[in-house]
Amino acid sequence: MTPARSEAAERVEELLTRILDAVGVDAEVEISEDAEAVTAVIEGEDLGLLIGRHGQTIDAIQHLAYRAAFRGADGRKRVTVDAAGYRERRAALLQHDADEAVEEALRIGAPVALDAMNAVERRVVHEYLRDRDGIETYSEGVEPDRHLVVAPAKQ
Amino acid sequence: MRELLEYLARQLVDHPDEVEVEEFEEDDGTLVLELAVAEDDYGKVIGRGGRTANALRLVVKAAAVKDNRRVLVDIVD
Repeated sequence: MTPARSEAAERVEELLTRILDAVGVDAEVEISEDAEAVTAVIEGEDLGLLIGRHGQTIDAIQHLAYRAAFRGADGRKRVTVDAAGYRERRAALLQHDADEAVEEALRIGAPVALDAMNAVERRVVHEYLRDRDGIETYSEGVEPDRHLVVAPAKQ
Repeated sequence: MRELLEYLARQLVDHPDEVEVEEFEEDDGTLVLELAVAEDDYGKVIGRGGRTANALRLVVKAAAVKDNRRVLVDIVD
């Protein structure tokens, strides 16, 4: 038996379908849901327009989907919107930069700041480095310049 | 574009019936969309640090590409 989808998931799907239609791309939306998150994956041809420069359009769509999903409701979950594997490629890039920052922080024995990232990406990197020995991570600065810092762990 | 902005704004606010979008064209062909919402809904379409307003602008801009149009979204009160 397929579990009933939450209203949040329904709202995300409707919003994305409307946006895809308005942007005029030929694509499909697949929604999945667990206790922590509603995840929408968009697959289709030529999704560059939907992703935008540095992913700013897909992040905008994700933000609107999140705001629309829980308008006035309790029980918030994360909402992730991906298109054509963008988030995975982006995560790989962020992890590569994070690895370099760890190496540098340990080598010079001082904090190393990463480039500014949005909240979603900061969490990706923070989780990625969480169990790493010898370093700690924290966020610094004010949006949109808020960024992660990788620092040698205090003894 | 206008329908899209109206639809998106209605998903975000407490008073969807009070969402209104005025549309006009500037001399250079730029399409201007003026969004008005209920007094206590402005925070919801603007968002912390203007994040939601920017997201609305980006998505409407993406939708304008296929018509090869420049579009501006203004939030008016």
